[in-house]
Amino acid sequence: MPLSQKKMVNVAVFSKNLVRDLACLGGSRFFAEPKSTSSLGQPNFGRFLRYSEQFFKQQHYTNNGVLVNQLEERLAEFHGTHFCVAFCSGFWGLVLTMASLALKRKSEVVMPSLTYRRMADIAAWTRLKPNFCEVDSGTLAMSRQTVNDCINSETALIVAVHPIVNCCDIEGIVSLGKERGIPVLFDSVESVYETVSAGKVGIFGDAECFSMHASKLLNGFEGGYVTTNNVELARRLTSLRTYGFEGQDNCVIPGGLNAKLNEIHAAMALANLDELEQLVIDNCRRYRSYQAGLVNVPGIRLLEFNETTKTSFKNIVVELLDDWPLMRDETVAVLNAENVLARAYYSPPLHQKKMGYSYVPATLEVTDYLAQRFMLLPCGDFVTCDDIGKIIQLLKFIQSHGAEIARCLTEMKAK
Amino acid sequence: MKSHRLALLGGTAAFAKMLPVGQLYFPSWDRYEAAMRGIFERRYYTNQGPLVQQLEARLQEFLDVKHVICVTNATIGLMMAAEALGLSGKVVLPSFTFIASAQSLSWTGIEPVFCDVNPSTHQIDIDKIDALLDDQVTGIMGVNLWGGASDPLALESFAYDRDLKLYFDSAHAFGCEVNHKKIAGFGSLEVFSFHATKILSATEGGCLCTNDVMLAAKLRNIRSSYGAGRPVPVVKTSNGRMSEAQAAIALMSLDDFPENQKKNAMLFCKYEERLKNIPGIKLVKPAGVTFSNYQYLVCEVDENIFGLSRDSLIAVLKAENVNARRYFYPGVHRSAGYKNSIRGLIDDLPVTESLCASCIQLPIGAMVDCDSVDMICEIIDKCQRSAGLLKSFFAEHGE
Repeated sequence: MPLSQKKMVNVAVFSKNLVRDLACLGGSRFFAEPKSTSSLGQPNFGRFLRYSEQFFKQQHYTNNGVLVNQLEERLAEFHGTHFCVAFCSGFWGLVLTMASLALKRKSEVVMPSLTYRRMADIAAWTRLKPNFCEVDSGTLAMSRQTVNDCINSETALIVAVHPIVNCCDIEGIVSLGKERGIPVLFDSVESVYETVSAGKVGIFGDAECFSMHASKLLNGFEGGYVTTNNVELARRLTSLRTYGFEGQDNCVIPGGLNAKLNEIHAAMALANLDELEQLVIDNCRRYRSYQAGLVNVPGIRLLEFNETTKTSFKNIVVELLDDWPLMRDETVAVLNAENVLARAYYSPPLHQKKMGYSYVPATLEVTDYLAQRFMLLPCGDFVTCDDIGKIIQLLKFIQSHGAEIARCLTEMKAK
Repeated sequence: MKSHRLALLGGTAAFAKMLPVGQLYFPSWDRYEAAMRGIFERRYYTNQGPLVQQLEARLQEFLDVKHVICVTNATIGLMMAAEALGLSGKVVLPSFTFIASAQSLSWTGIEPVFCDVNPSTHQIDIDKIDALLDDQVTGIMGVNLWGGASDPLALESFAYDRDLKLYFDSAHAFGCEVNHKKIAGFGSLEVFSFHATKILSATEGGCLCTNDVMLAAKLRNIRSSYGAGRPVPVVKTSNGRMSEAQAAIALMSLDDFPENQKKNAMLFCKYEERLKNIPGIKLVKPAGVTFSNYQYLVCEVDENIFGLSRDSLIAVLKAENVNARRYFYPGVHRSAGYKNSIRGLIDDLPVTESLCASCIQLPIGAMVDCDSVDMICEIIDKCQRSAGLLKSFFAEHGE
């Protein structure tokens, strides 16, 4: 009897007995429906319709609509800031805020390399040169020290990006910015709900930027917003997202474009905001399932949320340790074939990618090391605790059959 | 019709609610609810979803063009276009256009070079382009204005002869035809707007059209497309995605296009019939097309003949709850970011200057019916007849 047949997984519902039962080696998919790392929060349909009725009655579908105004008020209240400005996406919200905050006649922006894959492109749209900083190996986040190492006479702005789990050193970076006279913009796309000892995310630095893409905690189809206590910045951003207009026929600020949020997207975001607490409760339940299950999978370490303050429990990030039998990218490929849409954590890091625009070349050993080790596992509204149980079984199977899977994958590649 | 007493002079406003310009066609509540329910059932919200795919396929067929790339709005579409075309240095565009045409160039590091327009069609004056060319000019952005066209065939041969790239801002031109061929496939690419004020609405939205497979692949990558073809190298990407909600509205709007175009055409005729006898008012007819969407109703006001300035007429209409607009105003070349950029600009653009001072946009679209057109025209007629009285009113009270 072949070795793989002896190593049967001892769970009745688990459908894979042999390595060749894996979908990447010709077996059938473990999940009929894809299980993604996107939040895909879906509000009650009636609630979404009730919001929709408001703009529908006014026959006003965009341009400073009733729901965008409501959403901005609600989000300012949620984060505890004076102002919130909504955009068609977090991407263009970031571009406009970076362009607004950057010190004039300076050319560089400090940002991490281990981050969102389009972050350097965002800088390029503002014609600022990314100066990539290192991250801390324990938190995966930029720190006061790593940012400080990149500051020079050309630094126009610090874009402080929170990692996917927990927050970067908010107070350290804010105080560094103050000391060096450099504005700080937080990219808090993954930290909508988080609180740190100094207060709730949204209030820090010169401004904070968030996304309402369907994959994020607050689903508004597509969308983004910026929170700030700076009245001038809020007014400027409100104008810039509408071509630089302030009222009819009055284009006052150069450098505008169309980055308006439409009313249907605002309706979706408002309805989801109403149900956010429940989503966080559900996320916590999912996280607990992973926590309990992954303890029993050798070679995998769950990145734990700091539970001393409020957190959304949204993203599930794991580290594949030295004794995990497959490479991270192989593991992701094996899981993806099963419809478990795990993703590599920010890989390749930005400084390793080819860029057709100006940037500051960087050597980032910690980032390079970390970029090989982490992956995101399915989470969000689509994933049940039952699904998580199955994902863990699958991981156990991969772990216990690792050597054979690796051999089969190599053979397949060779063919 | 009972004679209307002008609201500005003490009468009651002609309309109970402010009548906007802009098309503002929208599906019925039942259709909206059904479309949104479908999205909720599929739980697919964005990232090149089934409705965006369906919309792109239907638009390809409707516009008879090989590639349609839907985007979140036309301005971002124009920015993606300049980026994908690899334009640099300077690009020539007409000065009588919406500010977004020029802003899309500024965002991609290109200097806009403004060319004056033809006084009767309002479209770019091709005869004036040569004088603006130097070795830094790499392209021409044609703009198809007011449901008309900027003679795309002439521009194509002009650009070809001078080895310049050519593309079109066709935000106003969805569904329009030149020599019975749909506007969409002229130049390297064309950009349409699906803003709520346009005949095809996605609330916000737009699309890029091209017959060039490589350009289409670049545009898809710059937009970010999640699975729509293999990514090809580009300098930088963006987020230009259209959501499933936007696509749902656009699909219904596309179904309604024939009906909405007919209504626009009927209203346009009504305006034409009523306005032709008012001295000093010249209706601008869509130029250079065999078929128009009639999504704009634009007139020139000749103050000397009409007796009142364009701005005074707008003040009278606003008091009647008609939100008539100066359009384009103040003109790109007088707007923030451009007004101080080129010496002598204003002297070089006499036609644009005069149009910015005389054009008025009147309501046409979903919110307007024949009776409202009658009423608006009656008000304009009355303004002309009572010009002296109104002039003294404005002398006393200001506009």
